Amino acid sequence: MADTPTQPAVTLKRVTRRFSTYTAVEDITLDFPAGKFISVVGPSGCGKSTVLSMIAGLLAPTSGVVEIFGEPLKGLNQRASYMFQQDALLPWKTVLENIELGLVIRGKSKFDMLIEASEWIERVGLKGFADHFPYQLSGGMRKRVAMAQCWIVQPDLFLMDEPFSALDVHTRLRMESEILRLWTGSEKTVIFVTHDLEEAISLSDEVFLLSSGPASRVVGRYPIDLSRPRTLIDLKTEPRFHELFRNIWSDLRQEVLSSYERI
Amino acid sequence: MNGSNRKRASILVWQLMLAVAFLLAWEWGSRTNVLDRFFFSRPSEVAQRVSQWIVTGSIWRHVLTTFTEAALSFTLGAFGGVLFGFVLARASDLAAVLEPHIRIANSVPRVVLAPIFLLWFGLGIWSKVALGVTVVFFVVFFNAYRGVREADRVIIDNVRMLGASERQLIRHVLIPSALSWIFSSLHVSIGLAIIAVVVGEYLGASSGIGYLIAQAEGVFDTTGVFAGMSVLAIGVLVVGGVVNRLERRLLRWKPGQLDSSEKFT
Repeated sequence: MADTPTQPAVTLKRVTRRFSTYTAVEDITLDFPAGKFISVVGPSGCGKSTVLSMIAGLLAPTSGVVEIFGEPLKGLNQRASYMFQQDALLPWKTVLENIELGLVIRGKSKFDMLIEASEWIERVGLKGFADHFPYQLSGGMRKRVAMAQCWIVQPDLFLMDEPFSALDVHTRLRMESEILRLWTGSEKTVIFVTHDLEEAISLSDEVFLLSSGPASRVVGRYPIDLSRPRTLIDLKTEPRFHELFRNIWSDLRQEVLSSYERI
Repeated sequence: MNGSNRKRASILVWQLMLAVAFLLAWEWGSRTNVLDRFFFSRPSEVAQRVSQWIVTGSIWRHVLTTFTEAALSFTLGAFGGVLFGFVLARASDLAAVLEPHIRIANSVPRVVLAPIFLLWFGLGIWSKVALGVTVVFFVVFFNAYRGVREADRVIIDNVRMLGASERQLIRHVLIPSALSWIFSSLHVSIGLAIIAVVVGEYLGASSGIGYLIAQAEGVFDTTGVFAGMSVLAIGVLVVGGVVNRLERRLLRWKPGQLDSSEKFT
Protein backbone atom coordinates (compact mmCIF):
# COMPACT_ATOMS: atom_id res chain seq x y z
CA MET A 1 0.00 0.00 0.00
CA ALA A 2 1.40 3.34 -1.05
CA ASP A 3 1.36 5.29 2.18
CA THR A 4 0.97 8.99 1.48
CA PRO A 5 1.75 11.21 4.46
CA THR A 6 -1.62 12.96 4.19
CA GLN A 7 -3.67 13.93 7.16
CA PRO A 8 -6.24 11.36 8.30
CA ALA A 9 -9.87 12.29 7.66
CA VAL A 10 -10.88 11.30 11.16
CA THR A 11 -8.81 10.70 14.26
CA LEU A 12 -10.20 9.30 17.49
CA LYS A 13 -7.95 9.91 20.49
CA ARG A 14 -8.66 7.83 23.58
CA VAL A 15 -12.39 8.12 23.02
CA THR A 16 -14.78 6.67 25.59
CA ARG A 17 -18.54 6.91 25.59
CA ARG A 18 -20.78 5.94 28.48
CA PHE A 19 -24.56 5.90 28.70
CA SER A 20 -25.25 6.38 32.42
CA THR A 21 -23.63 3.22 33.81
CA TYR A 22 -23.19 1.39 30.51
CA THR A 23 -19.88 1.86 28.72
CA ALA A 24 -20.43 1.51 24.99
CA VAL A 25 -16.89 2.10 23.76
CA GLU A 26 -13.75 2.43 25.83
CA ASP A 27 -10.47 4.13 25.09
CA ILE A 28 -10.56 3.88 21.32
CA THR A 29 -7.69 5.40 19.39
CA LEU A 30 -8.03 5.16 15.65
CA ASP A 31 -7.32 7.09 12.50
CA PHE A 32 -9.31 6.87 9.30
CA PRO A 33 -7.09 7.66 6.29
CA ALA A 34 -8.52 10.28 3.92
CA GLY A 35 -9.92 9.26 0.54
CA LYS A 36 -10.37 5.63 1.55
CA PHE A 37 -13.37 3.39 1.89
CA ILE A 38 -13.23 2.01 5.40
CA SER A 39 -15.61 -0.41 7.06
CA VAL A 40 -16.12 -0.83 10.77
CA VAL A 41 -17.20 -4.35 11.65
CA GLY A 42 -18.14 -6.00 14.90
CA PRO A 43 -20.80 -8.14 16.53
CA SER A 44 -24.24 -6.65 17.13
CA GLY A 45 -24.32 -4.19 20.00
CA CYS A 46 -20.58 -3.58 19.95
CA GLY A 47 -20.80 0.19 19.72
CA LYS A 48 -20.11 0.62 15.99
CA SER A 49 -23.02 3.02 15.64
CA THR A 50 -21.87 4.90 18.73
CA VAL A 51 -18.48 5.46 17.11
CA LEU A 52 -20.14 6.69 13.93
CA SER A 53 -22.48 9.02 15.81
CA MET A 54 -19.50 10.53 17.59
CA ILE A 55 -17.72 11.12 14.28
CA ALA A 56 -20.92 12.78 13.01
CA GLY A 57 -21.13 14.94 16.11
CA LEU A 58 -24.60 13.64 16.93
CA LEU A 59 -23.11 12.23 20.14
CA ALA A 60 -20.34 13.79 22.19
CA PRO A 61 -17.68 11.48 23.63
CA THR A 62 -17.65 11.14 27.43
CA SER A 63 -13.89 11.58 27.29
CA GLY A 64 -11.33 11.82 24.53
CA VAL A 65 -11.19 13.85 21.34
CA VAL A 66 -12.59 13.40 17.85
CA GLU A 67 -10.61 15.23 15.18
CA ILE A 68 -11.89 15.87 11.68
CA PHE A 69 -9.10 16.65 9.22
CA GLY A 70 -6.98 17.71 12.16
CA GLU A 71 -9.58 19.98 13.75
CA PRO A 72 -11.19 18.97 17.05
CA LEU A 73 -14.90 18.39 16.44
CA LYS A 74 -17.32 20.74 18.18
CA GLY A 75 -21.02 20.23 17.63
CA LEU A 76 -22.18 18.67 14.39
CA ASN A 77 -19.65 17.58 11.82
CA GLN A 78 -20.13 20.09 8.99
CA ARG A 79 -17.98 18.16 6.54
CA ALA A 80 -19.88 14.90 6.81
CA SER A 81 -23.07 13.41 5.43
CA TYR A 82 -24.78 10.65 7.34
CA MET A 83 -26.81 7.84 5.87
CA PHE A 84 -29.02 6.25 8.48
CA GLN A 85 -29.97 2.65 8.99
CA GLN A 86 -33.63 3.63 9.35
CA ASP A 87 -35.72 5.50 6.86
CA ALA A 88 -34.75 9.14 7.26
CA LEU A 89 -36.45 10.67 4.23
CA LEU A 90 -39.00 13.40 4.82
CA PRO A 91 -42.32 11.71 4.04
CA TRP A 92 -44.01 15.01 3.12
CA LYS A 93 -41.46 15.85 0.44
CA THR A 94 -41.28 14.34 -3.02
CA VAL A 95 -38.20 12.54 -4.33
CA LEU A 96 -37.01 15.77 -5.95
CA GLU A 97 -37.65 17.85 -2.83
CA ASN A 98 -35.91 15.30 -0.64
CA ILE A 99 -32.85 15.23 -2.85
CA GLU A 100 -32.53 19.00 -3.12
CA LEU A 101 -33.09 19.57 0.61
CA GLY A 102 -29.39 19.98 1.36
CA LEU A 103 -29.16 22.65 -1.35
CA VAL A 104 -32.29 24.43 -0.10
CA ILE A 105 -30.66 24.60 3.32
CA ARG A 106 -27.55 26.10 1.75
CA GLY A 107 -29.68 28.70 0.00
CA LYS A 108 -28.86 27.78 -3.61
CA SER A 109 -30.92 29.35 -6.38
CA LYS A 110 -34.01 27.47 -7.55
CA PHE A 111 -32.58 26.97 -11.01
CA ASP A 112 -29.26 25.51 -9.84
CA MET A 113 -31.08 23.22 -7.47
CA LEU A 114 -33.36 21.86 -10.14
CA ILE A 115 -30.44 21.16 -12.45
CA GLU A 116 -28.31 19.51 -9.79
CA ALA A 117 -31.13 17.50 -8.27
CA SER A 118 -32.31 16.29 -11.67
CA GLU A 119 -28.78 15.16 -12.39
CA TRP A 120 -28.71 13.19 -9.15
CA ILE A 121 -32.10 11.66 -9.80
CA GLU A 122 -30.69 10.27 -13.02
CA ARG A 123 -27.44 9.23 -11.43
CA VAL A 124 -29.23 7.06 -8.86
CA GLY A 125 -31.58 5.68 -11.51
CA LEU A 126 -34.82 7.29 -10.40
CA LYS A 127 -35.71 9.12 -13.59
CA GLY A 128 -39.49 9.47 -13.80
CA PHE A 129 -39.95 9.27 -10.03
CA ALA A 130 -39.17 12.90 -9.21
CA ASP A 131 -42.73 13.67 -8.13
CA HIS A 132 -43.30 10.49 -6.13
CA PHE A 133 -43.56 10.52 -2.36
CA PRO A 134 -41.39 8.14 -0.30
CA TYR A 135 -44.31 5.87 0.57
CA GLN A 136 -44.77 5.16 -3.13
CA LEU A 137 -41.23 3.81 -3.51
CA SER A 138 -39.69 0.41 -2.77
CA GLY A 139 -37.10 0.01 -0.02
CA GLY A 140 -34.26 0.00 -2.53
CA MET A 141 -35.52 3.15 -4.24
CA ARG A 142 -35.81 4.94 -0.91
CA LYS A 143 -32.17 4.08 -0.23
CA ARG A 144 -31.24 5.56 -3.61
CA VAL A 145 -33.01 8.78 -2.68
CA ALA A 146 -31.21 8.81 0.68
CA MET A 147 -27.89 8.29 -1.10
CA ALA A 148 -28.50 11.20 -3.47
CA GLN A 149 -29.72 13.35 -0.58
CA CYS A 150 -26.47 12.78 1.30
CA TRP A 151 -24.20 13.00 -1.69
CA ILE A 152 -25.61 16.13 -3.37
CA VAL A 153 -24.06 18.39 -0.70
CA GLN A 154 -20.62 17.03 -1.69
CA PRO A 155 -19.37 16.13 1.78
CA ASP A 156 -15.72 15.29 2.34
CA LEU A 157 -16.77 12.51 4.63
CA PHE A 158 -19.55 10.06 4.01
CA LEU A 159 -20.80 8.18 7.07
CA MET A 160 -23.02 5.14 6.58
CA ASP A 161 -24.64 3.23 9.41
CA GLU A 162 -25.67 -0.22 8.18
CA PRO A 163 -27.56 1.52 5.40
CA PHE A 164 -28.55 -1.63 3.51
CA SER A 165 -29.25 -4.00 6.37
CA ALA A 166 -33.01 -3.88 5.81
CA LEU A 167 -32.79 -4.80 2.12
CA ASP A 168 -33.04 -8.23 0.52
CA VAL A 169 -29.78 -9.83 -0.70
CA HIS A 170 -30.13 -8.91 -4.37
CA THR A 171 -31.25 -5.33 -3.85
CA ARG A 172 -28.42 -5.03 -1.42
CA LEU A 173 -25.82 -6.19 -3.91
CA ARG A 174 -27.12 -3.61 -6.37
CA MET A 175 -26.97 -0.83 -3.81
CA GLU A 176 -23.42 -1.82 -2.86
CA SER A 177 -22.39 -1.61 -6.50
CA GLU A 178 -24.08 1.79 -6.77
CA ILE A 179 -22.22 3.15 -3.79
CA LEU A 180 -18.90 1.95 -5.21
CA ARG A 181 -19.71 3.51 -8.56
CA LEU A 182 -20.54 6.85 -6.90
CA TRP A 183 -17.48 6.75 -4.70
CA THR A 184 -14.92 5.69 -7.30
CA GLY A 185 -12.85 8.68 -8.33
CA SER A 186 -14.62 11.02 -5.90
CA GLU A 187 -11.68 11.09 -3.45
CA LYS A 188 -14.14 11.17 -0.59
CA THR A 189 -13.66 9.27 2.62
CA VAL A 190 -16.33 6.71 3.41
CA ILE A 191 -16.83 5.19 6.83
CA PHE A 192 -19.17 2.27 6.50
CA VAL A 193 -20.54 0.51 9.56
CA THR A 194 -21.84 -3.03 9.13
CA HIS A 195 -22.07 -6.34 10.92
CA ASP A 196 -21.72 -8.19 7.63
CA LEU A 197 -18.09 -9.10 7.03
CA GLU A 198 -18.61 -10.05 3.38
CA GLU A 199 -20.10 -6.65 2.68
CA ALA A 200 -17.25 -4.96 4.49
CA ILE A 201 -14.54 -6.83 2.57
CA SER A 202 -16.10 -6.42 -0.83
CA LEU A 203 -16.48 -2.64 -0.48
CA SER A 204 -13.50 -1.49 1.53
CA ASP A 205 -9.83 -0.56 1.38
CA GLU A 206 -9.51 -1.43 5.02
CA VAL A 207 -11.65 -3.17 7.63
CA PHE A 208 -11.59 -2.17 11.31
CA LEU A 209 -12.76 -4.79 13.74
CA LEU A 210 -14.34 -3.79 17.05
CA SER A 211 -14.64 -6.15 20.00
CA SER A 212 -17.99 -7.19 21.43
CA GLY A 213 -19.59 -4.74 23.84
CA PRO A 214 -19.79 -3.40 26.48
CA ALA A 215 -16.59 -1.36 26.61
CA SER A 216 -15.78 -2.18 23.02
CA ARG A 217 -12.19 -1.73 21.79
CA VAL A 218 -10.40 -2.02 18.47
CA VAL A 219 -9.33 -5.61 17.82
CA GLY A 220 -7.48 -4.98 14.59
CA ARG A 221 -7.17 -3.31 11.19
CA TYR A 222 -7.14 -5.42 8.07
CA PRO A 223 -6.04 -3.92 4.73
CA ILE A 224 -8.08 -5.27 1.82
CA ASP A 225 -5.82 -5.60 -1.21
CA LEU A 226 -8.44 -6.63 -3.75
CA SER A 227 -7.92 -4.65 -6.96
CA ARG A 228 -10.28 -1.92 -8.04
CA PRO A 229 -12.61 -1.45 -9.80
CA ARG A 230 -14.36 -4.44 -8.33
CA THR A 231 -17.22 -6.38 -9.81
CA LEU A 232 -19.13 -7.28 -6.70
CA ILE A 233 -21.19 -10.00 -8.28
CA ASP A 234 -18.04 -11.98 -9.18
CA LEU A 235 -15.91 -10.99 -6.23
CA LYS A 236 -17.16 -13.66 -3.90
CA THR A 237 -15.77 -16.44 -6.07
CA GLU A 238 -12.22 -15.05 -5.99
CA PRO A 239 -9.71 -17.03 -3.85
CA ARG A 240 -8.16 -13.87 -2.36
CA PHE A 241 -11.59 -12.79 -1.11
CA HIS A 242 -11.94 -16.05 0.77
CA GLU A 243 -8.48 -15.83 2.18
CA LEU A 244 -9.21 -12.37 3.57
CA PHE A 245 -12.57 -13.50 4.83
CA ARG A 246 -11.13 -16.49 6.70
CA ASN A 247 -8.44 -14.31 8.14
CA ILE A 248 -10.72 -11.69 9.61
CA TRP A 249 -13.48 -14.13 10.45
CA SER A 250 -11.30 -16.10 12.83
CA ASP A 251 -10.95 -12.91 14.89
CA LEU A 252 -14.54 -11.79 14.45
CA ARG A 253 -15.72 -15.27 15.42
CA GLN A 254 -14.07 -14.86 18.82
CA GLU A 255 -15.90 -11.61 19.36
CA VAL A 256 -19.23 -12.98 18.22
CA LEU A 257 -18.80 -15.94 20.58
CA SER A 258 -17.96 -13.72 23.51
CA SER A 259 -20.96 -11.52 22.71
CA TYR A 260 -23.13 -14.65 22.98
CA GLU A 261 -21.76 -15.36 26.42
CA ARG A 262 -22.89 -11.98 27.65
CA ILE A 263 -26.50 -12.48 26.70
CA MET B 1 -60.87 0.41 -10.27
CA ASN B 2 -64.17 -0.46 -11.93
CA GLY B 3 -65.12 -2.76 -9.10
CA SER B 4 -64.47 -0.15 -6.46
CA ASN B 5 -66.43 2.43 -8.47
CA ARG B 6 -69.37 0.10 -8.64
CA LYS B 7 -69.09 -0.56 -4.93
CA ARG B 8 -69.04 3.15 -4.22
CA ALA B 9 -72.14 3.66 -6.39
CA SER B 10 -73.99 0.88 -4.62
CA ILE B 11 -73.07 2.33 -1.22
CA LEU B 12 -74.44 5.69 -2.34
CA VAL B 13 -77.69 4.01 -3.45
CA TRP B 14 -78.04 2.31 -0.08
CA GLN B 15 -77.33 5.55 1.75
CA LEU B 16 -80.04 7.35 -0.22
CA MET B 17 -82.49 4.49 0.21
CA LEU B 18 -81.97 4.51 3.97
CA ALA B 19 -82.65 8.24 4.13
CA VAL B 20 -85.74 7.95 1.94
CA ALA B 21 -87.07 5.00 3.95
CA PHE B 22 -86.59 6.93 7.19
CA LEU B 23 -88.36 10.01 5.84
CA LEU B 24 -91.20 7.94 4.38
CA ALA B 25 -91.72 6.09 7.67
CA TRP B 26 -91.75 9.36 9.53
CA GLU B 27 -94.20 10.91 7.08
CA TRP B 28 -96.40 7.82 7.15
CA GLY B 29 -96.30 7.68 10.95
CA SER B 30 -97.45 11.24 11.35
CA ARG B 31 -100.17 10.91 8.71
CA THR B 32 -101.63 7.80 10.38
CA ASN B 33 -101.34 9.43 13.81
CA VAL B 34 -98.85 6.87 15.10
CA LEU B 35 -96.64 9.89 15.71
CA ASP B 36 -98.26 13.00 17.12
CA ARG B 37 -97.94 15.75 14.53
CA PHE B 38 -97.59 18.39 17.23
CA PHE B 39 -94.50 16.78 18.73
CA PHE B 40 -92.95 15.23 15.65
CA SER B 41 -94.03 17.44 12.75
CA ARG B 42 -93.71 15.96 9.26
CA PRO B 43 -90.89 15.76 6.70
CA SER B 44 -93.10 17.35 4.06
CA GLU B 45 -93.83 20.30 6.31
CA VAL B 46 -90.20 20.61 7.32
CA ALA B 47 -89.19 20.63 3.66
CA GLN B 48 -91.83 23.23 2.94
CA ARG B 49 -90.57 25.42 5.76
CA VAL B 50 -86.98 25.16 4.58
CA SER B 51 -87.89 26.04 1.00
CA GLN B 52 -90.01 28.93 2.27
CA TRP B 53 -87.01 30.23 4.21
CA ILE B 54 -84.90 29.95 1.12
CA VAL B 55 -87.46 31.56 -1.20
CA THR B 56 -88.04 34.52 1.11
CA GLY B 57 -84.29 34.65 1.77
CA SER B 58 -84.83 35.02 5.51
CA ILE B 59 -82.51 32.08 6.28
CA TRP B 60 -79.30 33.47 4.82
CA ARG B 61 -78.72 35.95 7.60
CA HIS B 62 -78.77 33.11 10.13
CA VAL B 63 -76.64 30.75 8.07
CA LEU B 64 -74.13 33.51 7.53
CA THR B 65 -74.00 34.32 11.25
CA THR B 66 -73.49 30.72 12.34
CA PHE B 67 -70.81 29.87 9.81
CA THR B 68 -68.99 33.18 10.27
CA GLU B 69 -68.85 32.48 13.99
CA ALA B 70 -67.66 28.93 13.36
CA ALA B 71 -65.00 30.08 10.89
CA LEU B 72 -63.77 32.76 13.27
CA SER B 73 -63.59 30.42 16.23
CA PHE B 74 -61.79 27.83 14.18
CA THR B 75 -59.26 30.33 12.84
CA LEU B 76 -58.54 31.97 16.18
CA GLY B 77 -58.59 28.70 18.12
CA ALA B 78 -56.35 26.92 15.63
CA PHE B 79 -53.90 29.81 15.51
CA GLY B 80 -53.66 29.94 19.30
CA GLY B 81 -53.44 26.16 19.53
CA VAL B 82 -50.62 25.91 17.01
CA LEU B 83 -48.70 28.74 18.63
CA PHE B 84 -49.05 27.32 22.15
CA GLY B 85 -48.39 23.78 20.96
CA PHE B 86 -45.15 24.82 19.30
CA VAL B 87 -43.89 26.93 22.16
CA LEU B 88 -44.67 24.33 24.82
CA ALA B 89 -43.29 21.45 22.79
CA ARG B 90 -39.99 23.30 22.41
CA ALA B 91 -39.84 24.54 26.02
CA SER B 92 -40.32 21.42 28.10
CA ASP B 93 -39.84 23.17 31.47
CA LEU B 94 -42.64 25.59 30.68
CA ALA B 95 -44.78 22.66 29.52
CA ALA B 96 -44.18 20.85 32.82
CA VAL B 97 -45.25 23.93 34.80
CA LEU B 98 -48.37 24.55 32.75
CA GLU B 99 -49.46 20.94 32.35
CA PRO B 100 -51.89 20.68 35.30
CA HIS B 101 -53.38 24.08 34.48
CA ILE B 102 -54.03 23.07 30.92
CA ARG B 103 -55.64 19.84 32.04
CA ILE B 104 -57.90 21.69 34.45
CA ALA B 105 -58.86 24.28 31.85
CA ASN B 106 -59.65 21.53 29.37
CA SER B 107 -61.87 19.69 31.84
CA VAL B 108 -64.29 22.62 32.20
CA PRO B 109 -67.55 21.79 30.40
CA ARG B 110 -67.83 24.47 27.74
CA VAL B 111 -71.60 24.88 28.10
CA VAL B 112 -71.22 26.40 31.55
CA LEU B 113 -68.97 29.05 30.05
CA ALA B 114 -71.64 30.19 27.61
CA PRO B 115 -73.58 32.39 30.08
CA ILE B 116 -70.33 33.95 31.31
CA PHE B 117 -69.24 34.75 27.77
CA LEU B 118 -72.69 36.23 27.17
CA LEU B 119 -72.07 38.58 30.09
CA TRP B 120 -68.57 39.42 28.97
CA PHE B 121 -69.03 39.73 25.23
CA GLY B 122 -72.75 40.44 24.82
CA LEU B 123 -75.39 38.94 22.58
CA GLY B 124 -73.46 39.46 19.34
CA ILE B 125 -71.19 37.01 17.57
CA TRP B 126 -68.17 37.40 19.86
CA SER B 127 -69.64 35.51 22.80
CA LYS B 128 -70.17 32.55 20.44
CA VAL B 129 -66.74 32.89 18.91
CA ALA B 130 -65.23 32.85 22.39
CA LEU B 131 -67.07 29.64 23.18
CA GLY B 132 -65.95 28.06 19.91
CA VAL B 133 -62.35 29.11 20.52
CA THR B 134 -62.24 27.36 23.89
CA VAL B 135 -63.21 24.13 22.15
CA VAL B 136 -61.02 24.35 19.04
CA PHE B 137 -57.97 25.62 20.91
CA PHE B 138 -57.52 22.48 22.99
CA VAL B 139 -58.00 20.03 20.15
CA VAL B 140 -55.50 21.83 17.96
CA PHE B 141 -53.12 22.50 20.84
CA PHE B 142 -52.87 18.84 21.85
CA ASN B 143 -52.33 17.76 18.27
CA ALA B 144 -49.71 20.42 17.51
CA TYR B 145 -47.90 19.61 20.73
CA ARG B 146 -47.86 15.94 19.92
CA GLY B 147 -46.87 16.56 16.33
CA VAL B 148 -43.81 18.55 17.36
CA ARG B 149 -42.86 16.26 20.24
CA GLU B 150 -43.22 13.11 18.22
CA ALA B 151 -41.48 14.32 15.10
CA ASP B 152 -39.24 11.44 14.06
CA ARG B 153 -35.86 11.62 15.80
CA VAL B 154 -34.04 10.10 12.82
CA ILE B 155 -35.54 12.61 10.39
CA ILE B 156 -34.53 15.47 12.68
CA ASP B 157 -30.96 14.12 12.90
CA ASN B 158 -30.88 13.66 9.15
CA VAL B 159 -31.96 17.24 8.45
CA ARG B 160 -29.51 18.58 11.03
CA MET B 161 -26.71 16.59 9.43
CA LEU B 162 -27.66 18.18 6.11
CA GLY B 163 -26.81 21.49 7.78
CA ALA B 164 -30.21 22.83 8.81
CA SER B 165 -30.39 25.69 11.31
CA GLU B 166 -33.01 25.70 14.04
CA ARG B 167 -35.30 27.79 11.85
CA GLN B 168 -34.90 25.47 8.88
CA LEU B 169 -35.53 22.49 11.11
CA ILE B 170 -38.83 24.03 12.22
CA ARG B 171 -39.79 24.83 8.66
CA HIS B 172 -38.87 21.53 7.01
CA VAL B 173 -39.62 19.04 9.76
CA LEU B 174 -41.53 20.32 12.79
CA ILE B 175 -44.24 22.30 10.99
CA PRO B 176 -45.06 19.57 8.44
CA SER B 177 -45.04 16.98 11.21
CA ALA B 178 -47.39 19.04 13.39
CA LEU B 179 -49.60 19.93 10.42
CA SER B 180 -50.20 16.29 9.65
CA TRP B 181 -51.49 15.83 13.21
CA ILE B 182 -53.57 18.99 13.06
CA PHE B 183 -55.12 18.08 9.74
CA SER B 184 -56.01 14.63 10.92
CA SER B 185 -58.10 16.35 13.60
CA LEU B 186 -59.56 18.95 11.25
CA HIS B 187 -62.93 17.23 10.98
CA VAL B 188 -63.22 16.97 14.71
CA SER B 189 -62.19 20.54 15.46
CA ILE B 190 -64.38 22.13 12.78
CA GLY B 191 -67.32 19.98 13.82
CA LEU B 192 -66.81 21.01 17.44
CA ALA B 193 -66.56 24.67 16.44
CA ILE B 194 -69.97 24.48 14.75
CA ILE B 195 -71.54 22.67 17.69
CA ALA B 196 -70.12 25.22 20.13
CA VAL B 197 -71.38 28.29 18.29
CA VAL B 198 -74.84 26.77 17.79
CA VAL B 199 -75.05 26.01 21.51
CA GLY B 200 -73.97 29.59 22.18
CA GLU B 201 -76.67 30.94 19.88
CA TYR B 202 -79.21 28.65 21.46
CA LEU B 203 -78.53 30.12 24.87
CA GLY B 204 -78.80 33.73 23.81
CA ALA B 205 -78.40 35.51 20.50
CA SER B 206 -80.15 37.71 17.99
CA SER B 207 -79.42 35.66 14.91
CA GLY B 208 -77.96 32.31 13.80
CA ILE B 209 -79.30 28.82 13.35
CA GLY B 210 -79.15 28.06 17.06
CA TYR B 211 -81.20 31.21 17.69
CA LEU B 212 -83.72 30.10 15.07
CA ILE B 213 -84.12 26.71 16.74
CA ALA B 214 -84.49 28.28 20.17
CA GLN B 215 -87.13 30.69 18.87
CA ALA B 216 -89.13 27.86 17.30
CA GLU B 217 -88.94 25.85 20.50
CA GLY B 218 -90.21 28.85 22.43
CA VAL B 219 -93.49 28.74 20.55
CA PHE B 220 -93.72 24.92 20.33
CA ASP B 221 -93.07 25.09 16.60
CA THR B 222 -91.56 21.63 16.06
CA THR B 223 -91.53 22.12 12.31
CA GLY B 224 -89.29 25.14 12.81
CA VAL B 225 -86.95 23.16 15.09
CA PHE B 226 -86.55 20.36 12.57
CA ALA B 227 -86.18 22.84 9.72
CA GLY B 228 -83.38 24.59 11.61
CA MET B 229 -81.68 21.27 12.24
CA SER B 230 -81.97 20.38 8.56
CA VAL B 231 -80.35 23.62 7.47
CA LEU B 232 -77.53 23.03 9.95
CA ALA B 233 -77.07 19.47 8.73
CA ILE B 234 -76.81 20.59 5.11
CA GLY B 235 -74.27 23.23 6.08
CA VAL B 236 -72.18 20.72 8.00
CA LEU B 237 -72.22 18.33 5.03
CA VAL B 238 -70.98 21.06 2.71
CA VAL B 239 -68.21 22.09 5.11
CA GLY B 240 -67.23 18.43 5.58
CA GLY B 241 -66.89 18.06 1.82
CA VAL B 242 -64.63 21.09 1.59
CA VAL B 243 -62.48 19.80 4.46
CA ASN B 244 -62.15 16.42 2.78
CA ARG B 245 -60.92 18.09 -0.39
CA LEU B 246 -58.43 20.18 1.52
CA GLU B 247 -57.20 17.22 3.50
CA ARG B 248 -56.68 15.07 0.45
CA ARG B 249 -54.71 17.85 -1.19
CA LEU B 250 -52.53 18.67 1.82
CA LEU B 251 -51.92 15.14 3.07
CA ARG B 252 -51.35 13.55 -0.32
CA TRP B 253 -47.94 12.36 0.87
CA LYS B 254 -49.60 9.97 3.32
CA PRO B 255 -50.22 6.39 2.27
CA GLY B 256 -53.78 5.13 2.18
CA GLN B 257 -55.68 8.36 2.73
CA LEU B 258 -59.24 7.34 3.45
CA ASP B 259 -61.78 8.01 0.81
CA SER B 260 -64.44 10.54 1.81
CA SER B 261 -67.13 7.90 1.51
CA GLU B 262 -65.39 5.78 4.13
CA LYS B 263 -64.94 8.59 6.56
CA PHE B 264 -67.20 9.85 9.29
CA THR B 265 -67.35 13.61 9.38
